[in-house]
Amino acid sequence: MTTAILQADRLPALLDAILKQARPVAPARDGDLLHLRPVASAAEIASRLDYINPRNSVKEFFFPRSEPVLAFERRADGVALAEPATDFPKTVLFGCRPCDAASLLIMDPLYNWDYKDAFWNRRRDATTVVAISCTRADEACFCTALGSAPNATTGSDLLLTPLDDARYLAEVLTPKGEAIAALAPDAFSPGTADKQAPCKAAFDLLPARLDLDRISAWLSANFENDRWAPWSFKCWGCGCCTFLCPTCHCFDIADEGTYRRGARRKNWDGCQFSLFTLHASGHNPRPDQAARWRNRVQHKYTNYVSKFGHRSCVGCGRCIRHCPVNMNILAQLQQIAAL
Amino acid sequence: MSTPTEDLQARARALLASGEADLVIGYGQGTNPQKTTPVFISKADDIGQLVLNPFCHNNLANWLTRKDLRARHKRIALVAREPDIRAVVVLIQEEQVKPDAVRVIGVRIDRLGDPQSLCQVLPQTTLDDLQTHLRENFQPRDLTPEQLAALEELEAKPPAERWAFWRNHLDRCIRCHACRQACPMCYCDQCIAVLNQPQWLDSSAHPLGNTAWNITRAFHLAGRCINCGECERSCPVDIPLMLLNRFLARQVKAHFGFLAGYDAKEYQPFATYTCDDRQDFIL
Repeated sequence: MTTAILQADRLPALLDAILKQARPVAPARDGDLLHLRPVASAAEIASRLDYINPRNSVKEFFFPRSEPVLAFERRADGVALAEPATDFPKTVLFGCRPCDAASLLIMDPLYNWDYKDAFWNRRRDATTVVAISCTRADEACFCTALGSAPNATTGSDLLLTPLDDARYLAEVLTPKGEAIAALAPDAFSPGTADKQAPCKAAFDLLPARLDLDRISAWLSANFENDRWAPWSFKCWGCGCCTFLCPTCHCFDIADEGTYRRGARRKNWDGCQFSLFTLHASGHNPRPDQAARWRNRVQHKYTNYVSKFGHRSCVGCGRCIRHCPVNMNILAQLQQIAAL
Repeated sequence: MSTPTEDLQARARALLASGEADLVIGYGQGTNPQKTTPVFISKADDIGQLVLNPFCHNNLANWLTRKDLRARHKRIALVAREPDIRAVVVLIQEEQVKPDAVRVIGVRIDRLGDPQSLCQVLPQTTLDDLQTHLRENFQPRDLTPEQLAALEELEAKPPAERWAFWRNHLDRCIRCHACRQACPMCYCDQCIAVLNQPQWLDSSAHPLGNTAWNITRAFHLAGRCINCGECERSCPVDIPLMLLNRFLARQVKAHFGFLAGYDAKEYQPFATYTCDDRQDFIL
């Protein structure tokens, strides 16, 4: 890893250089919505980069909400199948937060443990992650509770930490990050700086680290527990939390089209829906919201750990911030840790 | 003088103490001062959790049709803002809720999200009196001038522009179905969006699937939407769903003279048939 100082007034020049050779995905403001989306020019990028977190996570740029995985067509001599191209455009993901960058490393093993998912892996190969550290946080943020930090480097190719209005500390972490820095060499000058002080306001608001092992142990031992019902009573079972979550990864397979031709698509699905576990027999092993909420908590904080060695959560806070009924998974974890 | 929260707690305490209710569904403090979260109170000791402030967003009538809740509680007291009382009225009309199974604690919040907003417990205690209040006092201010202006601005656009407007917004839909789950009128055991044998609507979040879902949802609310705005507030990608709902509500008003949720004795236009109905629109 090398460090450098990036002059803030050279950032537009760097973005223009990126635009010439890759598809940039960056935070843009559409009405009140600040979200990550492809941008056609640096002018489309949000003018202030001190947002808490874009509404959507980086997930959809690697695992789109709906994606064809197979096309089929009935012909005189049988059924012709065609696989979609996986030569994805070179992409630079600019301005996501360190929590989202870290989510990619949590998802990688899932898409590679038994079957190597070309859709995920080739998009990962084609994408460079330029994250920006958080100088602010809100009450929903909880990366520190999971042992991370608002200026953590995990998952980023290049991490920018705003030092003041004029300068960023640039941590060049991988060869992909080096390639970005090389696009505008005169924007970077050698040097380093303390990156804790600029993030102090965020650190001050973020919660203490949780006893994650204790939580995992309780969850493993308490599949049956009367507390799940009152804990989940107010959840009304939409997919807001799972769809905004950078590490929720479940999908459904749907065949669409006509008798003659169509496509098999991979669509986001979520464990908070009743249909998610409905069997063909009519039996539903997760018949109510208590069972579905339990699944969400257990999957993230114990099941995923036993399979992949990491919690399936980065503490981005979207599931708390945007839950229509203000469910609070951090409070849930703190409650379990105190049992 | 007592605060709105104290008034609310007093009303809830009396209902639990008299046995008129075995559960109070209300609002409690959320994760920040601008948020509340639904609370379910069955013991007098917990009444202190109830709050009433301009950040009481959810339409709690949504829980009246929840089976797990109905199985445990037979007499429910519901904290209901004015639009939410309309929701209770529609649920009664549609025979989803028995009038004697619910006690409504009516509250008035004039401007949600504005810390300075008027906020009070309504004095009326019976559903009949609350409906009279709605018709006489609430109906004229149901649609704000800003909401009406936004609707008329969109209506004035040529069809191609309106289509582009909706294509642009619906393209963002991720099919999380928060709009459906937020809606007290969306209580079907099996929503058409989850029926997959056959698959009536494409489940994919692509332009065709998103348009099919959002138009179907809006149509099913024609003459039923009570303008609480919870679908739009819950949408994680900011689709202005209430423009569709208000447009349809205006059409129903124009063609049938009907506004949903103001009078439980009225018949709903799309759930009624009479022998002298006009037939001239049938091809």
